[in-house]
Amino acid sequence: MEFSEFLDTYLVPTAITVAQIFAIIVPLLVAVAYLTYFERKVIASMQLRKGPNVVGPFGLLQPLADGAKLFIKETILPSGANKILFAMAPMLTFILSLIAWAVIPFDAGMVLADINVGILYLFAISSLGVYGVIMAGWASNSKYAFLGALRSAAQMVSYEVSIGFVIITVLLCVGSLNLSAIVEAQKTIWFAIPLLPMFIIFFVSALAETNRAPFDLPEGESELVAGYFVEYSSMTFALFFLGEYANMILMSGMTAVLFLGGWLPPMDIAPFNWIPGPIWFFIKISLVLFCFLWVRATFPRYRYDQLMRLGWKVFLPLSLAWVVITAGVLVAFDIVPTPLSG
Amino acid sequence: MSIIQLPSMISASPEIFLAGAGMILLMIGVFRKTDGTGVLSMATILCFIVAIIAGFLYGGQENAFYGMFITTSFTQFSKSLILVGSILAVVLANDYMKTEKAQRFEVPVLILFATLGMMMMVSAGDLIALYIGLELQSLSLYVLAAIRRDSLKSTEAGLKYFVLGALSSGMLLYGASLIYGFSGSTDFLDIANVINEQKDNLSLGILIGLVFLISGLAFKVSAVPFHMWTPDVYEGAPTPITALLAISPKIAALCLFIQVLIGPFSAIIEQWQQIIIFISIASMTLGAVAALMQTNIKRLLAYSSIGHMGYALIGLASANEAGISGVLIYLAIYLFMNVGTFGCILCMRRNGQAVEQISDLAGASKSHPMMAFALLVFMFSMAGIPPLAGFFGKWFIFLAAIEAQLYTLAIIGVISSVVAAFYYLRIIKFMYFDEIVAPLDKGLTKNLRTVIYGSMTLVIIFFLAPGTLVSSAAKAAKSLIGVNG
Amino acid sequence: MVQAIAFYAFAFVTIAAGVMVVSSRNPVHSVLYLILAFFNAAGLFVLIGAEFIAMILVVVYVGAVAVLFLFVVMMLDINFVELRQGFMQYLPIGALLGLILLVELFFVIGIWSFLEDGSMLTAVIPVQNITNTHALGNVLYTKYVYLFQAAGLILLIAMIGAIVLTLRSRPGARKQKIADQLSRRSEDILDVVKVKEGEGV
Repeated sequence: MEFSEFLDTYLVPTAITVAQIFAIIVPLLVAVAYLTYFERKVIASMQLRKGPNVVGPFGLLQPLADGAKLFIKETILPSGANKILFAMAPMLTFILSLIAWAVIPFDAGMVLADINVGILYLFAISSLGVYGVIMAGWASNSKYAFLGALRSAAQMVSYEVSIGFVIITVLLCVGSLNLSAIVEAQKTIWFAIPLLPMFIIFFVSALAETNRAPFDLPEGESELVAGYFVEYSSMTFALFFLGEYANMILMSGMTAVLFLGGWLPPMDIAPFNWIPGPIWFFIKISLVLFCFLWVRATFPRYRYDQLMRLGWKVFLPLSLAWVVITAGVLVAFDIVPTPLSG
Repeated sequence: MSIIQLPSMISASPEIFLAGAGMILLMIGVFRKTDGTGVLSMATILCFIVAIIAGFLYGGQENAFYGMFITTSFTQFSKSLILVGSILAVVLANDYMKTEKAQRFEVPVLILFATLGMMMMVSAGDLIALYIGLELQSLSLYVLAAIRRDSLKSTEAGLKYFVLGALSSGMLLYGASLIYGFSGSTDFLDIANVINEQKDNLSLGILIGLVFLISGLAFKVSAVPFHMWTPDVYEGAPTPITALLAISPKIAALCLFIQVLIGPFSAIIEQWQQIIIFISIASMTLGAVAALMQTNIKRLLAYSSIGHMGYALIGLASANEAGISGVLIYLAIYLFMNVGTFGCILCMRRNGQAVEQISDLAGASKSHPMMAFALLVFMFSMAGIPPLAGFFGKWFIFLAAIEAQLYTLAIIGVISSVVAAFYYLRIIKFMYFDEIVAPLDKGLTKNLRTVIYGSMTLVIIFFLAPGTLVSSAAKAAKSLIGVNG
Repeated sequence: MVQAIAFYAFAFVTIAAGVMVVSSRNPVHSVLYLILAFFNAAGLFVLIGAEFIAMILVVVYVGAVAVLFLFVVMMLDINFVELRQGFMQYLPIGALLGLILLVELFFVIGIWSFLEDGSMLTAVIPVQNITNTHALGNVLYTKYVYLFQAAGLILLIAMIGAIVLTLRSRPGARKQKIADQLSRRSEDILDVVKVKEGEGV
């Protein structure tokens, strides 16, 4: 094989893909860093405080300072811990929160891997997130961590069920599992409007899935100290932290794609369609993220049985009923989307 | 764009009805404020009766669900037997729960679903349908066997049944996947075609698959060498559940056995006949010999049922019309003998506690003359003493074996039934010739009495009018052989 | 070439993980290896173009079943060294069974590749330009509707069984009754008492 041929068939595509990956991950990590800043600022203003305001102008360098602090601290491996799993858990959480972005479309055609089963891939990856937590809780060999892991496992499995049903209702209205196709299908109307109850269920389940307040029992800092990552310090802790926030952004991205029309402008008229798609996508993600923070500042933590009841006795029947209703309406009015080829 | 295109499913209406009714009954049971066991039992029996009638009304020759669901006279006949067996089991179970004050409304519902599974098994026209029906049946029965979760024996029985049953399902699935791999289809008709084509040069894969399939099915009819679970499960499970286990699933599994072997594999009779003959001989012999040592009457009946399955398999081994109709007649008679016997076992209570030792029956002829007489009739019938029904069951089977020139098999069958007669007579000896040690409790409930005396009457008067049963069994057998032969 | 490398990588890791499932000392590690095996099997599915099955494998087995597995195994308090004592004793039988299965697998593959008409038995690749999901949906709810519904019944039985065998109603257990809480009125539970100065209640 000629070198140039080898270059063309293997090296160049690989280099392009790697470049694309960096183009996604670097802004993502910056976004994660500034999400923490954003969170502290938002919650502070809701609680009539100032939030970070010392490091840099308006405290803008605070995330960097936090990162540097975590980086130079000592990594502690508890003596009773299962060393390999203990180290693997945060890496797993972090990696999973990154690889899911491979299928998120930022604009028409602007996606790293435009696979047929994009939404299933997202669902699969987000259902793996629980392993990072379980492994961390078990490997730490600490009661608080273990309790947190158990809570998290039960919680995430429970809410995944209703997320699955929500996704199915959306799929019924689209006729494809491809994320770009899902966005394209919302050209006439965003799914948040006809499927409003599903949108709310999805948002609440996303809170539970990312272990955010008011479902932050796995961390439960007032009872479990910090839950599953109580034994972690320095960079291992930072990876959990990054993973959790990247997951929040991911879930917001999913919400935007499934219900808020992804990169599409609200209306296809003059001032709106001047703004490029990725910007719209960014705005939508930011809005959903704001709601995440808003909820955290507003609601008290759920009791565990209430959490389970909400998941199994309220959301599950409700979403199941909506699947049936949606399918029924689509068939009754003969508006079943024809399967898109490809 | 037409989205809804329903397959033809009219001939599956009994099953569809039962599935729907089962779910409704379950909801009623869950949402009733007071315990609904009695009501649900009544409703379940009613559903079974409706299913029998519907089976005769709609179960024509038309297949449902793209050939995955077959109905013929054969399936109609076997389903009726299964349903009658389940009705009687529900009666026994309801009665038992009332006496033991352990009402669970799930029991009739689970029996209903188990029965549904059996009917689906019998009607299977596809390997997947076969497996799904089998699994529905087994799963319900595992739960039923362990239903008395406070009793160590019952949970042990359930667990053993589950683990070994899962193993047998695994074997069955492995066999099915080999058959699928080598024939390229799971549909019985397609498999039959492939086998017909390569009759003389059969690929090894299909043969190995068939052996695994037979092993899995032999497990379900508890034929030797796959019988190990039977005594323990029979002993541990609550008695009415044991009665159910001894009747309906056995009938269903045996009919499925026939349906599969006489159906797609009819072209290679020589290949499977030896296996069936071996299983049959082993079951008859072990059933006769191992039962001699038993002191617990439920364990004894377990070995007895292993033996009975051996006899029934003779009919399958003959693989002719007489053999198949013989099996059906045998199963019909077996049903009533067993229900009656288990009814008698349910009467064995002392100081409000159920007892199960054979020695507990000592002197029962004096304290419970009617019950003892009924048990005497059942035991004589099981031993095959004329003119009771059990004799005719064996008679037709042996006739078929002779017709198929399986003389050894017939002779071993006769010898083992002589040996088996010994332990049946031992029970009678305890009842009629031993002194009362501690008397059993008096009093039978009305339902129990009806079941025992009803089946006793049938077993006694069978010889007066065997015609109906024999002719419908012959018709059923003809429909099976006629289609595939 | 890339596909071949990917295949061998996935296949090797699957088998290695499978071996580790049975040989690792710690049951939690076993479950984690099992998850790794599932994951790589999903990779193999992607390679043969069955992306839907691959994703479902991850969602169902890795995302739900194995989590519950891990959940249970982590909480078990069993001395696994003791359990392993019979290992060597059963090893010959186990090895024999494994060997038989292996030989049979070779039969299957052998016949498929050497028999002249064996190739007709291999599964027909469905029409292109239709996605996996559509292809499955087309047959699952039409041709296989009977099996689909019957499988649903099996799951129902499994659920009934799990509830029947484990649910106990404990007398005296306190439950939150939201309806009661909501129907409480302040008039029923509060008495507004005017207290005169200097007298107390």
